[in-house]
Amino acid sequence: MIKRITSNVQLTVGLMIMAMFVLVTFVGPIIFPYDPNPVVTEIYLPNSLAHPFGTDWMGRDVFRQMIGGAGSVFQIAFYAAVITVLVGSTLGILSGYAGGKIDKIIMAVTNIFLSVPAFPVYLVLASIMTLESPLAIAVVVSAWSWAGLCRAIRVQVLSLKERDFIQICKVMRMGTGHIIFKELMPNILSYIIINFVIAMRSAILASVGIMLVGLASYDPTNWGAIVSAARGRGLINPMNVRILLYPLTAIVIFQVAALLVVNGLDELLNPRLKVM
Amino acid sequence: MGNSETFEEKTPFAKLLRVVQAFFVKHHYILSKIAMSIVTMLLTMVMIFFLLRMIPGDPVYQYAIGIQQQRRITFEEAYKVAVQMLHYDPNENILRAFLRYFSGLIQGDLGHSIIETNVSANSLIRTRLPWTLFLSSCALFISFFVGITVGGYVAQHRKGLANKAASVYIALSGSIPDYLMALLLVINLAYKYKLFPAQYNYDAFSVTPGFNLPFIRDVLWHGCLPILAYSLVNTGNWIMQMRGSCIGVLGEDYILAAKARGLSSRTIRSRYMKKNALLPLVTSLGMAFGGLFGGAVLMESIFNYPGLGLEISGRILSKDYMVVQGLIFFSGFMVILVNLLVEMIYPWIDPRVRRE
Amino acid sequence: MEYIREPLMQLKNINMVFQKQSSLLTDKKFHVLKDVNLDIFEGEIIALVGESGCGKTTLGKIITGLYKPTSGDIYLEGERMTGLLSKSITSYNKVQFIQQDSYAALNPVRTIYQSLYAPIKTKNRSWSRSQINRKLEELMEVIGLQPADQFLSKYPHQLSGGQRQRILMARAISLDPKLIVADEPVSMIDVSMRLSLLNLMKSLNKRYNMSFVYISHDLSTTRYIAQNGRVCVMYLGEIVEMGQIKDVIRSPRHPYTRALIQAVPVPDPDYVSDGELPLKSMQLAALEDRPKGCSFYERCLYSCEACRERVYHRDTPTAKVLCSHLEAVPDKPIYETFGE
Repeated sequence: MIKRITSNVQLTVGLMIMAMFVLVTFVGPIIFPYDPNPVVTEIYLPNSLAHPFGTDWMGRDVFRQMIGGAGSVFQIAFYAAVITVLVGSTLGILSGYAGGKIDKIIMAVTNIFLSVPAFPVYLVLASIMTLESPLAIAVVVSAWSWAGLCRAIRVQVLSLKERDFIQICKVMRMGTGHIIFKELMPNILSYIIINFVIAMRSAILASVGIMLVGLASYDPTNWGAIVSAARGRGLINPMNVRILLYPLTAIVIFQVAALLVVNGLDELLNPRLKVM
Repeated sequence: MGNSETFEEKTPFAKLLRVVQAFFVKHHYILSKIAMSIVTMLLTMVMIFFLLRMIPGDPVYQYAIGIQQQRRITFEEAYKVAVQMLHYDPNENILRAFLRYFSGLIQGDLGHSIIETNVSANSLIRTRLPWTLFLSSCALFISFFVGITVGGYVAQHRKGLANKAASVYIALSGSIPDYLMALLLVINLAYKYKLFPAQYNYDAFSVTPGFNLPFIRDVLWHGCLPILAYSLVNTGNWIMQMRGSCIGVLGEDYILAAKARGLSSRTIRSRYMKKNALLPLVTSLGMAFGGLFGGAVLMESIFNYPGLGLEISGRILSKDYMVVQGLIFFSGFMVILVNLLVEMIYPWIDPRVRRE
Repeated sequence: MEYIREPLMQLKNINMVFQKQSSLLTDKKFHVLKDVNLDIFEGEIIALVGESGCGKTTLGKIITGLYKPTSGDIYLEGERMTGLLSKSITSYNKVQFIQQDSYAALNPVRTIYQSLYAPIKTKNRSWSRSQINRKLEELMEVIGLQPADQFLSKYPHQLSGGQRQRILMARAISLDPKLIVADEPVSMIDVSMRLSLLNLMKSLNKRYNMSFVYISHDLSTTRYIAQNGRVCVMYLGEIVEMGQIKDVIRSPRHPYTRALIQAVPVPDPDYVSDGELPLKSMQLAALEDRPKGCSFYERCLYSCEACRERVYHRDTPTAKVLCSHLEAVPDKPIYETFGE
């Protein structure tokens, strides 16, 4: 199993980069603690050994800010992915397997969530609730992404339901619980795993967007918050530009790593016939 | 045979019934889709209404205080006046408020601002929507057409350098959020090199709106950066979709037969591959087009571009919720409508889906 | 007909109508099975033959309980069943099903062991793992896949079609049923493998006294497996002829059966058939508008006006035939050595 993973280049590279991020999240703040107090004498210092990414407009070390912020970024992505996958797959399996009225109701609700544009609603939700914790942001962000997953899983369940090996379970009088968990789920598990990582990607996208508008400023070390603050200070000033580029690059690298993991997992779990 | 012989049309009423029945039978597919869309729209209305009611805070309060001081009346009376002027009573029975909202929507009234008078959602849409659509649709079509051309080419030459370059491009462009790309472009092209303007849709000081050349040129010049940012980020997605679809088509037997007949790559590409591979992309395109009406909030905020997205976000932040209600409903409505149109057009372009 | 013993399963007046909602107001009705009466006895092999779309698979699924008939009664060992879910678990486990496509019938992400273990465990909750393992070993020996461990640990895609089909049989007999419905079990298997699979089914029938309902469109395999059993010829959802297979093949009485037998190519260099089938047309009637009388009326060479109005069962020395105009149908054998 490990061998299969390591033989897939995309997956290995992606996982290694993500592992680095995770490492930074847990170990980073211990090695490089962040001091949020402003040091007025050291504003906008250039990169040096003491401050690898320089300092910001209040004299705080940018490098350490980013290390501190990795944790909140990761938390948001993870929580949002968990919520999206849990809600989306539960409703999707329920809707696909039960059929009938339940299916119609769930589909009607899903359609609403797919029609109304996500971003304005994020803003509305952000005004309703005060976004104080990564979990809150995660909830807001996943409120819209579960719908797509639900519909996709429903389609898969519908087609699986008619397959012979499920039909024979009914002849052999095997319980619904067994059919759903032991027969259906293993067939869609790969799809769910891949969608978990996809959900993480879109969660980061959405959360950084919310921060850019200024609605979630609970944690100023979060990479999106740094970008937003730097922009707020005015990008005409090249010093601010420099500060902005670091979290931006970090975000992009994380997204790329997640993409590699997704593609790698797809190759690994869904072997397709090679097309000439 | 069979049934129709036994039923004789004796009365004109019976004949009418048959016509209606035949109509339902023939257009069953479309009618059920329309019914589903209507249901979705109704539920959307309900959801938006209740969602906005959950926002804490009472905007009428501030207004009432102002009126009270102005006219020197009691607060209760001032409140009543405020309610009247703003068409909004937070204490109203929620069901009655919903019915009022609903009847207003049916008549086309999408809500009024409670902060500025004489500003309604309809007027905002009229003024702002064209700008949003201008940016988004230009960008969408550019990224679509570039995407499918490149996608078609690399699908046929999978082993070449172009395909590898395309894959790298797809990975990178899919990982940068569009607003961050916009920021990068603004920093470099607008501020550093001063090639394009960083804000607004046209320079109100130097040109006047209308069908004159300087205005059009100015608008295009101001639109360059947003469109560029959006296109750069989204072309990758279209390339990927087109490439995948084309690879699927190229594996089919009729392509093999075409190759055996000696047709060139280019002929195969244009005559066989493109039409078949584009079919699933049409639904994607339709859905993307529907999503345009939601407004690219962040892009517009970065460029300070006076479009619908910026308007919605501004109004939410300033708590002008009545108008926001209507604007969000409008976006949702357009998405549902466009999706419905795509579903109705699809059987026309894909013969396999047609019903008798 | 007098019965010597009580039948294991009785199907009385089974009608199956599928409704397809094609518009808001009207539904298309497909009358797939019409007034089917069938008795299945313990230990017998009975064959259902017919062309594609004649309803034999639907009938098979009704017997196993996957479909509930629109009208009609099913009796299993004397008890009246009104559907798969409404009777207790124990009684319906007596009927099992072997599907046509062995690859689709097994869960691709579960090993053979897991796929065989689960139904046994579901039926016998108190058995321990070692007990079930022993039963699995026995089963693998019976179906001829040894050594057992080698096959049990594999996934379905790692086995050949013939091996998978044997696994399906093992799964079917693992619950000790009294009746097994086999829906075209060898049609997707290489011709060279068919005989061994059919022999396996015959041995299971002898050894465990299980009844088999063998569904097929291929007369030769049917003939082989149901040597001493009965055959039901189906057309458009009705059983048009039912009798001992030797007699029906040798002297078919219903015009459709005659055409069916005559359509089988004969590997006899001296036999020259005229190449003509005794049919008026090759077109199947629609299932939506069933004619009132005989469904075969359109294609039948010997039909008369009365056939359009009514059709009823006739008893001949060899078979029970659904034909009202039997006198007009020739009764000489199609080919002298058929049926032997």
